[in-house]
Amino acid sequence: MGWATLLLQISLRNIFSSFLNVVIGLIVLVGTLFFVIGGSLVNSMDKAMSRSIIGSVAGHAQVYQASSADSPALFESWQIPDLDPIPDFSKIKGPLMSDPNVAAVVPEGINTAIVVYGNTIDQILEKLRKAVSPGAKQSRETVESLKAHVRKMISDIQTDMTHVNQVAAKGAVDPQSYEDLRKASSGEFWNGFDKDPLNHLEFLENKIAYLVPDSDQIFLSYVGTDLDAFAKSFDRMQIVDGQAVPSGHRGMLLSKYVYEEMFKLKSAHRMDQIHEGLTEKNKKIAKDPDLQDLVKQNRLQTREIVLQLDPLSSQKAVSILQGTLGTKETDLPKLLASFFDTNDANFEGRYKVFYDQLAPLVELYRLKPGELLTIKAYTKAGSVQAVNVKVYGTFQFKGLEKSGLAGGLSLMDLMTFRDLYGYVTPDKIAETQSLEKAAGVKFITRDKAEADLFGGSASVEEQGKQKTINEKAEMGGAAKVKRVDLTSQVYSREEIEKGVVMGAAILLKDPSRLKETIKNLQAISDKQGLGLKVIDWQKAAGNLGQFVFVAKFILYLATAIIFVVALVIINNAVVMATLQRMREIGTMRAIGAQRRFVLAMVLTETVVLGLVFGTVGAALGTLFMVWLGHAGIPAANEFLYFFFSGPRLYPGLSAGSLIGAFFVVVVVTCVSALYPATMATKVSPIQAMASDD
Amino acid sequence: MADIVSIQNVYKEYPLDKVVVPALQGVSLNVIQGDFLSIVGPSGSGKTTLLNLIGCVDTATRGTVQVDGHDTKNLNDSQLTDLRLNTLGFIFQSFNLVPVLSVFQNVEFPLLLQRKFTKEERAKRVDELLEKVGLDNHTKHRPSELSGGQRQRVAIARALVTRPKIVLADEPTANLDSVTGENIIDLMKEMNRVEKTTFIFSTHDAKVMSHANSVVKLADGRIVNGKAAAAGAH
Repeated sequence: MGWATLLLQISLRNIFSSFLNVVIGLIVLVGTLFFVIGGSLVNSMDKAMSRSIIGSVAGHAQVYQASSADSPALFESWQIPDLDPIPDFSKIKGPLMSDPNVAAVVPEGINTAIVVYGNTIDQILEKLRKAVSPGAKQSRETVESLKAHVRKMISDIQTDMTHVNQVAAKGAVDPQSYEDLRKASSGEFWNGFDKDPLNHLEFLENKIAYLVPDSDQIFLSYVGTDLDAFAKSFDRMQIVDGQAVPSGHRGMLLSKYVYEEMFKLKSAHRMDQIHEGLTEKNKKIAKDPDLQDLVKQNRLQTREIVLQLDPLSSQKAVSILQGTLGTKETDLPKLLASFFDTNDANFEGRYKVFYDQLAPLVELYRLKPGELLTIKAYTKAGSVQAVNVKVYGTFQFKGLEKSGLAGGLSLMDLMTFRDLYGYVTPDKIAETQSLEKAAGVKFITRDKAEADLFGGSASVEEQGKQKTINEKAEMGGAAKVKRVDLTSQVYSREEIEKGVVMGAAILLKDPSRLKETIKNLQAISDKQGLGLKVIDWQKAAGNLGQFVFVAKFILYLATAIIFVVALVIINNAVVMATLQRMREIGTMRAIGAQRRFVLAMVLTETVVLGLVFGTVGAALGTLFMVWLGHAGIPAANEFLYFFFSGPRLYPGLSAGSLIGAFFVVVVVTCVSALYPATMATKVSPIQAMASDD
Repeated sequence: MADIVSIQNVYKEYPLDKVVVPALQGVSLNVIQGDFLSIVGPSGSGKTTLLNLIGCVDTATRGTVQVDGHDTKNLNDSQLTDLRLNTLGFIFQSFNLVPVLSVFQNVEFPLLLQRKFTKEERAKRVDELLEKVGLDNHTKHRPSELSGGQRQRVAIARALVTRPKIVLADEPTANLDSVTGENIIDLMKEMNRVEKTTFIFSTHDAKVMSHANSVVKLADGRIVNGKAAAAGAH
């Protein structure tokens, strides 16, 4: 006991005896600091990201048809994986739920649709068309206001064209366009409008509207799911605007993120982004090129607002802007341009004016909750399906509001999803049958095809001539089918669950038993011949799920490199320190210390040195993590927002990293001291006799 | 009295590059227990080599060296180490104290290596010795806080703490001024008288030499004085 205490005392007192020891100590300190901080950060990020992935769409595990060519990649909306459908969800739900650890099975399928938006003038013309259509209840005033708005738009377009003509090459503007614009702006044209509104509208729609090239295509990624089950299972989901889709109804919930990004007035969205940059991220317009770019775009792209304003609103806008800017300028585009030319000093003021005074004059969003959205999607077979779906509102995942990754997916009811995906639902069959009946289509079998098509006595040409198209009958028949209002149809749970799904998310009661549950579910599927494959959330997230794995790998690699370098340096340093202590070691040997004592002494000294500095490093790391845990790391961009599962990551100290750090320190110092320690045992006691001179 | 050290016709040769340098050439010497023996001679005469052989830190090329009845040729490193620990004490020219240990711990060190005594027994012995060498007020000091003479006193205490049969001292006064050196020799002599410990020390200082009971004179690796023969004749 005595000599062990002695060894420890020698070790502790030797720590600062040599400059070399301080070098060794500092290496260990930095290594431990790095290990503790890095390990804790990666661990916290792992936890945060798994919260993000599990909590937004993935659930703890995903099932899909095992025969599929791809596997689910929930966060890679740019490419929809090629998955085979699961023909009947109701047949797999029961077996999957039979595992006692499964809390819920939520059907899911991801697809991308296209939403085509007409340009601003199209939208106003559409309103005008509605207002003048027979049976419309709009007042005379509304019609006149819309007309005035259209006339103002035409004059805006004319002004634009003149500008374009001045700067562009000759012939860039089609002379016919001038002619059409001149006609559309003439008093004569508008005097005749009321007598024959439809023809006038057609002229405007065909000849004028396309001159405004601001029509838009929105790519909308969505999850088709059982909306009730989804909301129940993913409790971070919350409705922001509008309301949830009523139980059993068809409908859509747009992701709030997409809604802001795609459906909001661009200028307003840019104002939001600048505002956020200044207030939440502490950026300065003067210093940040991204913010400067937003300001520039806002300054240059004012037409979306200009075109939206009817003459009356324009007047109001001009006076608001004149008041704000303190100028007598009357040209709205110029006023807007200088209004949007913001800097760090005036931005917040302008932001307030924009939302308090200008925003009420325009439509901030081109789609409001409760309105119908026409979306088109390519079916698996390649044809295009279009469906009108009612957008009930917007939603977000709590804590992931700003994440484009979590907010990239909107939600759609399963029935509409099946329609868009091109799978035959009972509704579709009914619709097709009724269309077939109305159009007189009959099935012909392949072997009789020739006879059926060409074998008739009358020539094809003759038939074509003889039969006049009964437009009313044929179109009417189709229209009648289309008019079946699917939006008010209510589906039972059974109807929703009985049918095709692309996959399902599985939520567990005890997530720590994920691995064994997946194994069990796979076994259930294999035993019952369900043909499913069960994967965990990390795999289901696609490449994103690998991110933490990669981060961990990099951390461990970096740590390994640091410690290998440390090993070499420590080894050398201990060798040098041992050489400096030849006489001391020789003396110990001379007065009776065995070789093993010397071995133990050098090893103990190095390990104690490592542990002391390692403790300091770990303590510093712990302090840093505690501080960071309070301060948080701001998510600098959307991706980090997702990885951090919120605007800031509040990382915790991971016990694993602390234990791991000490383990590594002991191993590294032991290994690196092994050679010098053996060398020290060979120091001869004669060394003690050597005199100084 | 029995011979505590017996050296018979010992040769020691060191290889130096391609030639062999003879350090001792046929030395024979017997030392009786309780002697206060001085080995003298000029630099390179083989004083240190002879002490190393007696101290079991080196072995002879030829000839036999017996220390306390053990032929050192027949002992392995571990056994030689035990012999040094239990039978021998060392006093070095440069004191060779462990710098990070206190005076007390330095003296206690060999006892710890022996693992024979309890903490209390160790403390009693160390305190006794430190009192004898006059450093009982400095037990907690570090060697660096002491003067040269004080350090050598600590070294003497360390050499005696295991109650060895022989204490070897290689030029114990070389790094000390003459007055301090004198005191150190007096102290060693005192210990020799009281503890009956055999002291063998090398020196080239005539004053120091004069304290010795017997003197062995070395030159070119050979014993050259008759007195040594007398010493060996006991």
